[in-house]
Amino acid sequence: MRHVDLTGRGNYFEDFTVGQRLRHIRGRTVTNEDNMRWTLRTLNTAQAHFNLEYATGMLDGIFPERLVMGGATLALVVGMTSEDLAEQTVRELGYDDIRLTAPVFQGDTLWAESEVLELTGLDDEPGAGTLTYRFRGWKGTDTTVATGTRRIVVRRRPAGAGKESS
Amino acid sequence: MTDVTEPRTVMRGTYYDDHEPGRRFVHHWGRTLTRHDVIDFATMTNQYNPLHFNVEYARAHGHPDVVAPGLLVYNICLGLSVEDLSEAGGPFLNLTGVTFLQPVYPGDTLTCESVVLDRRLSKSRPGWGIVEWESAGHRQDGECVVRYRRANLALTREGSGNVQ
Repeated sequence: MRHVDLTGRGNYFEDFTVGQRLRHIRGRTVTNEDNMRWTLRTLNTAQAHFNLEYATGMLDGIFPERLVMGGATLALVVGMTSEDLAEQTVRELGYDDIRLTAPVFQGDTLWAESEVLELTGLDDEPGAGTLTYRFRGWKGTDTTVATGTRRIVVRRRPAGAGKESS
Repeated sequence: MTDVTEPRTVMRGTYYDDHEPGRRFVHHWGRTLTRHDVIDFATMTNQYNPLHFNVEYARAHGHPDVVAPGLLVYNICLGLSVEDLSEAGGPFLNLTGVTFLQPVYPGDTLTCESVVLDRRLSKSRPGWGIVEWESAGHRQDGECVVRYRRANLALTREGSGNVQ
């Protein structure tokens, strides 16, 4: 087994172009297990995420359910972008301008799209480059739930990796 | 002898009023990451990069173990900061300048601290304000592993009806 065969062949640094837009193929239906797992395992004490009576009693009862913790929504949206954009990530640099624009509840199905904003070579790292992309996650007909940009260092195609013909 | 006093609720969380710009919070508890945390987070949130869930692949790329996804590191620091910063408050408004400075592996222990950067009262929502913090997560060796700036809506003490 060669490690180079464990990942895709069409998502190395040189396969991307600035302005390229992707609509990611897989959606993700959120459960309260997703919500509570990442709330509780990260020691997040905000009970609107794990106490149904508290969540539905807040703000005169505007929420029908526990609010999905924002960091979980963000991770699920970014996760949907990952095979297309970040499978060859060497390391993550960061995120900017994250906004969570609508509440998410169990049963909501999330979808994601992305746009490549910037591609920069690295002088001291000839085998990789920096990829910056904007992502947007939405639910329902088109209610945006999360937007932001992500910066990652992506591997260039190594010798012997082959190139995807598609 | 019967205790006739009412049980007391220990209040948790803070108000807008508690967030003087420049105030520093060293957050409670800390959290050690396990390999299960890393692989579970990566797989349950569809983070499809084998560095996060294939230890042989991670080793072949120069790591001692699977690499924690950045958002797991961020979420742990966030979680540790909630009681001090945002538990009694309102919704998350924005997050920016998230910078990952060092890799985090199973066995690493994270702690978090924050500084109040700025605050202002909301013009449109009486009883509420907006507070912005800079938070930093550190590894057991003191290295900073993540930094970010976060802003939340925060309830004022007066707005909470809990004036003391």
